[in-house]
Amino acid sequence: MSPRIGGAAVERGLHLARAVERFRTMCLIRAFEEAMLERRRAREVVGPVHPCIGQEAVATGVCEPLGERDLLVTNYRGHGHAIARGVNLRRFAAELFGRRDGVCGGVAAGHFCDPQTRILAASGIVAGGIPLGAGAAMSAQIRGTGAVVVCILGDGAMGAGVVHEVLNIAAAQRLPLVLVCEHNLYQSGTRTEEVVPDLDLTRVAAGHRVPAASVDGNAVDDVATATAGAVARARAGEGPAFLEMRTYLTRFHIQLDVPSNERRPREELAQWLARDPLRAARDRAVLAGAEPGVLDAIPGVVQAEVDGAIEWARASAAPGPADLWRDPAGGAR
Amino acid sequence: MSDLAITDMLIEERFAEDETLVLMATTPPAGLTARFAGPRVRTFPISEPAMVGMAIGAAMTGLRPVVDLNRASFLPLVMDQLVNHAAMIPFLSNGQYQVPMLIVCVTRDDLQLGPQHEQCNYGLLMAVPGIAVVVPGSLADLCGLARTALRAPGPTVLFVDRRIEEQRGISAAMGTPPIPFGQAARLRDGGDVTVIAVGAAVERAAMACAQAAQKGIQCMLLDPRTLAPLDVGALGCAARSTGRVVLVDDGPGAGAPAQLLACLSETPGVLDAVRGRVVTIAAPNVPVPSTPVLERQTRPSATRILRAIEGVMAR
Repeated sequence: MSPRIGGAAVERGLHLARAVERFRTMCLIRAFEEAMLERRRAREVVGPVHPCIGQEAVATGVCEPLGERDLLVTNYRGHGHAIARGVNLRRFAAELFGRRDGVCGGVAAGHFCDPQTRILAASGIVAGGIPLGAGAAMSAQIRGTGAVVVCILGDGAMGAGVVHEVLNIAAAQRLPLVLVCEHNLYQSGTRTEEVVPDLDLTRVAAGHRVPAASVDGNAVDDVATATAGAVARARAGEGPAFLEMRTYLTRFHIQLDVPSNERRPREELAQWLARDPLRAARDRAVLAGAEPGVLDAIPGVVQAEVDGAIEWARASAAPGPADLWRDPAGGAR
Repeated sequence: MSDLAITDMLIEERFAEDETLVLMATTPPAGLTARFAGPRVRTFPISEPAMVGMAIGAAMTGLRPVVDLNRASFLPLVMDQLVNHAAMIPFLSNGQYQVPMLIVCVTRDDLQLGPQHEQCNYGLLMAVPGIAVVVPGSLADLCGLARTALRAPGPTVLFVDRRIEEQRGISAAMGTPPIPFGQAARLRDGGDVTVIAVGAAVERAAMACAQAAQKGIQCMLLDPRTLAPLDVGALGCAARSTGRVVLVDDGPGAGAPAQLLACLSETPGVLDAVRGRVVTIAAPNVPVPSTPVLERQTRPSATRILRAIEGVMAR
């Protein structure tokens, strides 16, 4: 690089590249989720699909500041997090198709894990994975690895006792743990405001003396900045953080053969659709200096990537009957 | 700790050898804290579900945590973490993650602690694939099995009856090498009746077998030692050879005894050989009361076991 190129120019270039990459990741997550809903209706995807459509900015912004050694715990709505973390898309699709070449041999589907990207679990139990993440943070602290653990939970998980236990312990033991709450205003079909005294969930973490902040979860830049700060603090030994990401599922909670029968107030849905995180990320990329032509080409590119992953998953064999008896520790049961 | 002096000693012994070992307790033993001051001996608030869940995450990332659950009665508190996570993760991850963790707990005491502290509930975990269920029936077996449990590849729960800890002969017992899981102990040979006893009931079953011998009835006494993995081969072989079975446990009959019987019935030849000559002697189907007169009745006595042995002989 020429020494005459100033720091400001480099910074602008990095800023542009980051903005385009954020938009690309979010487009990939959206395309993958749309495809999985369609493939579920065609009965290729096994089990339920919990799409994260509308929440792509959280997945993208949270995973961006994480390094290779850092760990992630997600939940049953975890496709976006896995993609943002860089999971092998073909093997991930094969997992959701229940195929042998899936990241977990096809046995886990939506409750996958992926040691390659250091995803510990995508628990199917609301809040069930949170203590696992705290334990991995304790492990990092004991072994002195410098790793930080991010746990992603929904606002519904804030009603679970184990989250309160973990907040208390994480604060007392100064664990390198960042809890990211995707606060999308619903828990299954129930509006969260019907079942909590106050929609501000940062108060819960603050009550346990865990530093907490509320973030616009549809603004990928804000998500990434807040997460980077919390991760840096945790890595420096300053303890846990809680980030409330305000966002919204613009489709629905769950789909099997058909979507769940949910009713969202029309005005509420329209307001959130108007704040589509992909459009916002595109606008940010343009502001950062991206060529509109480059950005317009991205949806087609990621669609081809998703289509290729689906073709690959389809070609993977289903597990054979004997696979049921394989011993996870090696050998036969 | 759970006032389990021997278990504490074994953990401390292993702590010096295995630097991945971590103790998670609400009150860690003073000796361990003094010798290994630092992050591996961790004091927790009374948050059993989080403790067990954190042990899982630690075990998945290179450590070997030991959780002091204190009482087996607290097992229901941690069932989501143990059943839905610890037991399933090796399978769900296709073997990519292992969960080498140990939970230690006390089943019964004779201190009138009441039903919420006095339970032989290991039978619950026999119905959960993926967990090693360890129930020693003697002091030496406690030492040998605990040593194996501290090296086991997957989630393991060690259930200790305080009566076992209070048996004599600590220094001799401490010399016991690791005992492999899934190997029943044959404590007495005999061709008439197979007696299968679990935990602290093993001692009373042995007394009953000795009394039966004086009456001319020769019993084969087996202690499975680990209920999962279960030594179905040894139990089935004994049941076939005697054609009579008495199952003895201090827990409810629907727990370990019912599942031992189910495993036996699936073993080829056992049902044909036994032909109905099988009796379960277990705790009555009620919580363990505090008042001593009633509490005593919940443990099968040697007399009850002897009557059962005589009963199956008469058939």
